[in-house]
Amino acid sequence: MKLLSSFKKELILASRGFYFYVELIFALVILAVLLFAIPQNFSSTSTEYLYFNLPQEEKEIFINNILEDDLDAKSEMVEIEADGKIFNAELIITDESEIYIVDSEEAVRALADSEKVMGAVIELDGDNQLHYKYYLQGYESTRLKNLISILQNESTNVLEERIENQDVRPLSTDYEPLNDRENTIPPLIAFSGGLMGMFIMASYIFLDKKEGVIEAYAVTASSVWRYLMSKIFVVLLTSVVSGLIIIMPVIGFRINYGLLLLLLLTAGFFASSLGLLVASFYNNLMKAFSVIYLLIIILMVPSIAYFIPGWDPFWIKIIPSYPLLQGFKEIILPNGDIAYPLIVSAGFLAVGIILFAITNIRFKKTLSV
Amino acid sequence: MLKKIWIIFIRDIRVNTREFMTLYMIIIPLVLAVGINFLSPGINDTSVNLALIENENTEQAAYFDDFAHVELFSDEQRVEDRVRARDDVVGILPKDNGYYIMTQGNESELVLGYAKLLNVLYESDVQLEDARSEIIEFGRTVPPLKKMLVNVLLLLISMLAGMLIAMNILEEKVDQTVSAINVTPTSRSAFILGKSLTGMFVALFSSIACLLITGFYNINLGQAALVVFSLTILSLLIGFIQGINSDDAMEAAGSVKLMFLPMAGSIAGYELVTGNWKIFFYWSPFYWAYRANDMILSKSGTWPQLILYIGIILVICGVAYALLAPRIRKGLQ
Repeated sequence: MKLLSSFKKELILASRGFYFYVELIFALVILAVLLFAIPQNFSSTSTEYLYFNLPQEEKEIFINNILEDDLDAKSEMVEIEADGKIFNAELIITDESEIYIVDSEEAVRALADSEKVMGAVIELDGDNQLHYKYYLQGYESTRLKNLISILQNESTNVLEERIENQDVRPLSTDYEPLNDRENTIPPLIAFSGGLMGMFIMASYIFLDKKEGVIEAYAVTASSVWRYLMSKIFVVLLTSVVSGLIIIMPVIGFRINYGLLLLLLLTAGFFASSLGLLVASFYNNLMKAFSVIYLLIIILMVPSIAYFIPGWDPFWIKIIPSYPLLQGFKEIILPNGDIAYPLIVSAGFLAVGIILFAITNIRFKKTLSV
Repeated sequence: MLKKIWIIFIRDIRVNTREFMTLYMIIIPLVLAVGINFLSPGINDTSVNLALIENENTEQAAYFDDFAHVELFSDEQRVEDRVRARDDVVGILPKDNGYYIMTQGNESELVLGYAKLLNVLYESDVQLEDARSEIIEFGRTVPPLKKMLVNVLLLLISMLAGMLIAMNILEEKVDQTVSAINVTPTSRSAFILGKSLTGMFVALFSSIACLLITGFYNINLGQAALVVFSLTILSLLIGFIQGINSDDAMEAAGSVKLMFLPMAGSIAGYELVTGNWKIFFYWSPFYWAYRANDMILSKSGTWPQLILYIGIILVICGVAYALLAPRIRKGLQ
């Protein structure tokens, strides 16, 4: 009852402050960005500059092959500028790329250099065989350069046919991928809703220290853990409300909201306890903030791995935001794994309880002094 | 007045050299810069990850290693376990007459296409030694992702500086030193400006040091210093807005969070939005700062372009200051 009463008081105080509304406005802004600024699928077209230094007949065969993939089967004559020079080009736009066919090697070199994309010159060598010259930037990985250098050893048609006939055996066939808009939700709710709790809890504690609330608490019948927990409940409530504001209009009712709430609450509890623990070591808000700022930057690193699934080193998996992001993703995914978010939630709860217990011991010694 | 601001600044520098915060502001961006150096080669080398059975076909494993990351496992079950992991790993396993590709089912088309292509190239006996293509490089060594991370770091430094200036001002307000200044010959504005100079100076130092650590020493440092200067003006404005308009730490913390939104939005807008939609980000000084930094880090801009971008940042900051001046004056009282 004391805890509930403390929570109610904290909630009334928070509702009179600026922070509570910042959270809600922030969630609404993120929702607006998700709905109006982020497309369902990002278009990822690449740009290529090609020069066919070949007899007219062979050149036309190449161009007609590329034209087969053009969206309207027609090319367009355009002028493009590089290094202060204007070059004429035939533009072919396909689903995946914008291909500019220019009329000199100088143009390929200048455009690849200034636009920082790949350029290629296709010509005949001394034995009348096709020879490919690629212009690359230099920072491409050795493995990619190796692949580019052998790609033309076999005819494209033969390669395509063999690729089509590859025996691919997926372990699961009921996987439905998220679109780009849905895929951006886990990092947004993880950082906005869950992990910012650290920052906010530290601010709460220093604010109360300044205002003498903590000394006043020392002479009441309530215990320190109830005081800390009531603060955490306020942060958890704002975190849940802002998380739901972001998710519900975008995803609708097709996900398991019980799991979502569980992960939001346990991750929020973990982050708040961590924020409290950091705050317990400092008597100055700025020092505590600087440590939390660094922690938030470290916690942001797994979002790189989230967006680049091919880059997933071991050390990144031990940063707590990694399972958090993956947990939110599993919840949003159609046919997602239910066990994973449950395990992650249990982990956050267990670590959160340990951190809270340590914090409680530290604050018992320091808060009332 | 300038002399008084200078005296406050020098006194602050002396005090701050014994303080944790100044050291923190200097060291943390440098640690992050080293972190970027550590992260970017691995990310840039990302192609496709293949899982194979150890000693099943050593020649094949060596072949794939020239084009992809190869992990070897003792048996098929362990390969399957690896493929089932959360990252994108494709297994290539033996069957009666060749090899089949094992996927989890959630890989992107790009990853699957790359794995299929490599298997076809191996089966077709296309060897690296027989390469018929010539590669000419422009000698650029900094990958785009590293450039982006360094650019984000420069904006983060300005945010950090802004936050610290805000906290500095807030602490003075809470300690009521701003009111105490009334009885000295120094004006409140001079006092606050002097307090802010330390943050601006450290931001300038950290930004230049980060550029050097991350290997951008052959960019035009004069241009970079100019952008960093405009960013510090931006930090100062952020600090003023947050510090003066906040009555307590909670409000300042909320403001910091609000300021992250235009910064993150501007970066996403510049990197992801195409064509005319970028107009919607023109109001944000972060957008112009990021764009100017990108131009300098790419070594592709001209002085008139740079001056235009910096001019826009300063005009936006000026307009924001003019609009907020009454509140700032009120906050100082």
